[in-house]
Amino acid sequence: MKAIILAAGKGGNLLPFSQTRPIPLVSVAGTDIFDNTVGLLKSSGINDIFAVVGHQKEKVIERIGEHSHNGLNIHYLEQKKLGEIGVAVSQAKNKISPGEYFMLVYGDIVASSNIFSKIQQSFHSFKSAVASICLPPSNEMFGNVFLNAQMKITQIIEKPKNNDLGNYVLAGVYILPSKFFKILEKNRYSMEKSIREMAQKEGLWASMWEDEWLDIVYPWEILTANQILMDSWEASLISSSATLEGNVTMQGPVRIEDNVVVKAGAVLEGPCSIGKGSYIGNNSLIRSYTSLGEGCSVGYGVEMKNCVVFKNSRIGRLSFIGDSVLGEEVDVGAGSMTVNRSTDWSPVEVKLGRKNFKTGQTKLGAFVGDGVIIGAGNTVEPGTIIPPGKSLPACYTIKR
Amino acid sequence: MCGISGAIGLKDVSNALFESIRNLEYRGYDSCGVALIEKKRLLVKKNIGEVESVYRKENILRHRSNIGIAHTRWATHGSVTKDNTHPFLSKCGKFAVVHNGIISNYRLLREQLIREGYRFHSETDSEVIPQLLSKFYAKEKNIELALRKTMNVLEGTFALAFITTYLPDHIFCAKRESPLMLGIADETKFIGSDFNSFIDFTKNAVIIEDGEYAVISKDGYIVKNSITGEEVAKTIMKIEWDSETSKKGGYPHYMLKEIYEQPQTVQNALDISEDDIADLSNMISKARQAYLVGVGTTFYVAKFGKYTLANLAGQFLPTVSSDEFMSLANVDSNDFVLAVSQSGETYDTLSALRYAKLNKCPTGAIVNVMGSTMARLVDKVILQGSGPEISVISTKAAISQMAILVRIGLHLGIKNKKISKQTYKKHMKDLRELPEIIHGILNERSGFIHRIAHRYCQVKHWLYLGRGIYYPIALESALKMKEVAYVHAEGMPGGFLKHGTLAMIDENINSIVFMPPKEDKKLYESTLHCVEEIRARSGFVLGIHFDARGKNKDLFSEELILPSVSPVVAPFLQVVIAQLLAYFTGTSLKRNVDKPRALAKSVTVG
Repeated sequence: MKAIILAAGKGGNLLPFSQTRPIPLVSVAGTDIFDNTVGLLKSSGINDIFAVVGHQKEKVIERIGEHSHNGLNIHYLEQKKLGEIGVAVSQAKNKISPGEYFMLVYGDIVASSNIFSKIQQSFHSFKSAVASICLPPSNEMFGNVFLNAQMKITQIIEKPKNNDLGNYVLAGVYILPSKFFKILEKNRYSMEKSIREMAQKEGLWASMWEDEWLDIVYPWEILTANQILMDSWEASLISSSATLEGNVTMQGPVRIEDNVVVKAGAVLEGPCSIGKGSYIGNNSLIRSYTSLGEGCSVGYGVEMKNCVVFKNSRIGRLSFIGDSVLGEEVDVGAGSMTVNRSTDWSPVEVKLGRKNFKTGQTKLGAFVGDGVIIGAGNTVEPGTIIPPGKSLPACYTIKR
Repeated sequence: MCGISGAIGLKDVSNALFESIRNLEYRGYDSCGVALIEKKRLLVKKNIGEVESVYRKENILRHRSNIGIAHTRWATHGSVTKDNTHPFLSKCGKFAVVHNGIISNYRLLREQLIREGYRFHSETDSEVIPQLLSKFYAKEKNIELALRKTMNVLEGTFALAFITTYLPDHIFCAKRESPLMLGIADETKFIGSDFNSFIDFTKNAVIIEDGEYAVISKDGYIVKNSITGEEVAKTIMKIEWDSETSKKGGYPHYMLKEIYEQPQTVQNALDISEDDIADLSNMISKARQAYLVGVGTTFYVAKFGKYTLANLAGQFLPTVSSDEFMSLANVDSNDFVLAVSQSGETYDTLSALRYAKLNKCPTGAIVNVMGSTMARLVDKVILQGSGPEISVISTKAAISQMAILVRIGLHLGIKNKKISKQTYKKHMKDLRELPEIIHGILNERSGFIHRIAHRYCQVKHWLYLGRGIYYPIALESALKMKEVAYVHAEGMPGGFLKHGTLAMIDENINSIVFMPPKEDKKLYESTLHCVEEIRARSGFVLGIHFDARGKNKDLFSEELILPSVSPVVAPFLQVVIAQLLAYFTGTSLKRNVDKPRALAKSVTVG
């Protein structure tokens, strides 16, 4: 079966990371959402993949190039005019033969195990169009489905307001027939209307997903996605080319990739992941749910916990990074701190654009865009978003 | 778009081949065909129509063979006719080929072959393949070489497979751009357009890549590069697959499937004939003393029956756990024992009934499994018709038993002149609406219940409280929590709290209170007292109630709101909520929901 991954969207609320990449290329748990999706597709028996690209397309195309010598038959389709999801889906029209069923995968979802395998099992038993459904933390952003006892979807209610529905919702993974492209066309590329028509006229069955599932919309959800994936780890994986000096302590599942150097006295508490060629300085404390990308450098005596750091970033000595996400090539000066809670433990708010969002999290640090330079000695307020490329001067307590 | 499959093994593979091609029907289904080797001769059967109908029309399963290939077609070149259906035979009759893809230079090849004396019977592009194989074989006298030469001259896309009488113990297949996989089981080897064709037999797959071909025998397979002819090392991929899923109708667990079947089982309980209900009701009213027995969930169902019969018919029936029956009840021919059992094989309940029979006491039973020991043992049985309950945890059978007991209660109520004909009709009407209401709850409340279960799954101790008829509901609900999630849950009547149990209320113990609907004013008020008693000690209370939203905002720590319904059906909805709460707590804690530890489907030991 062929799969189509939607990787063209802009992800307007995923600031500051979506400004410089499409959502699927956001790092999580030592990989990124795109690689995670492709890997799961592969182990579910799918190796014909089309990725629809648009926003920041070069980055996805480059990634596809890296995959194609991996036993995968993976290609990209370009969505010239960004907009409706339905338009993105219809890019694959000519790749699917009449009568053929294909899998459609939203590029911004993360699940704790193989949701693609599960939906194919449902398809195998229903032999008809299937949609994955799940129970999310809130129903308001999704299509709420009504089922009969045979798991046929009888009705879909989009984005119900006043919180009076607690239904299963559409989880962004479908197996659809080629005729779906015609239905899309007829409904002016509205995905919602087309799926509704599928359910009402053609028959759409449900595949229940009961494990963790997340649609990444807000930057703090990167941390949740990271946790979901890391929680599925059972064993440590340490590359034979990594150098671990004396007195390095490790607990729980720790992943250390090629050519990593961990200096003496460092403590690594799993689950955590250290990317290719990274350096962990002496006496650093890397606590659980830390994901460090490729080529990062962590100085002496740094503490990190529940954070995702994209590739090639540097964290200066004696810093603290907690409940935060750092983009690519971020430079954090020595002795800097991401403060991760308010004094009264009230939930942290984040300002996205002009709107204040209640995250509901009592512990939340900063979201630092690509290429940001934070000068030495800074303390960053909880819930701060720093746009890409910004340079913040060092913060001296005694000046010349 | 077509699907191809093939199978080869030590034994007969014709059934496996049928299954495998049927599972590829989603790739196209306007015609279908099969090639087998029977007694060293090639046998081709094909026709237009879906796989199953073609198999029937051509009586294909009559033929036995340990090698075969099959094709399901969705026409691209050539119309839907028997002649255009795969497999195609070569002129020499020694090669049978199935093909998926499009041969773009087929006109040219066809003209050439016609000039060389080959004849064509179809309008398809695919038919050139067997002719080419036969032509090259005539020259090379080597099947693999013939295949490689054929692949060389073909332009376009293909996944093809063929069998030949020259080498009757091998399937050959090759790929360019169209999908092709091998499935490696112990006794049988498969080929298929994708793993759907063989996943029912094996999860081990070998993916064939472009420009490769494979030779498969009953013992193994070799994959080679078509240009160099060199062997390619292949790793076996294990497909992540839970073969039980299809049996569960797509549900993750039987328990959830059976919870979703409850609207139907309640309906079936309501469809049981009035005469059957009347028989049991008459036996109860004739008896000097009638007893209700059950054990585990059915004991709580019996307790529910006790309250129902008392409320509706003003008749009090002692309810005894089956295992204790012999120590308590001194029955004779004037008494009556009514047992409740899903399996009809429960040792404890059977013992109680046998004891009653020994003392010449009339017996009756509400049983799900037809032909079970209990169904045959008792004087009068009602078969509840809930269908097989596979999950060890009883859900749909229990709720159906409850509905039957309400019907007995209503019948007895009229007999005892406790309720009017009108009330009877009103209650029956409420019961008839129950399936639809349960259906609505399952759809619209699952998410709320899931969120609460997820949030509090680490809580170690729960108190389940209810008053009146909601007391057995609390007991049954607590049992569900224990069975599925292995979480300590204690059911008790609300009035018990102030007689000692309140001492337990602290941050380590959560409570669930089963609120009656407001119409049941007295019961509602007294249940409310329990809530206040716990809240006064800063205890956590999850309220499952029927009031309007926002009304009890400060009363409960968490709430699950049910639609407002009549008191006679209200307990049923509470049970459904509690089932889901136990289920989601179980899944959140990664419990083996359908086969919980230390519990068997029918406990047949004493």
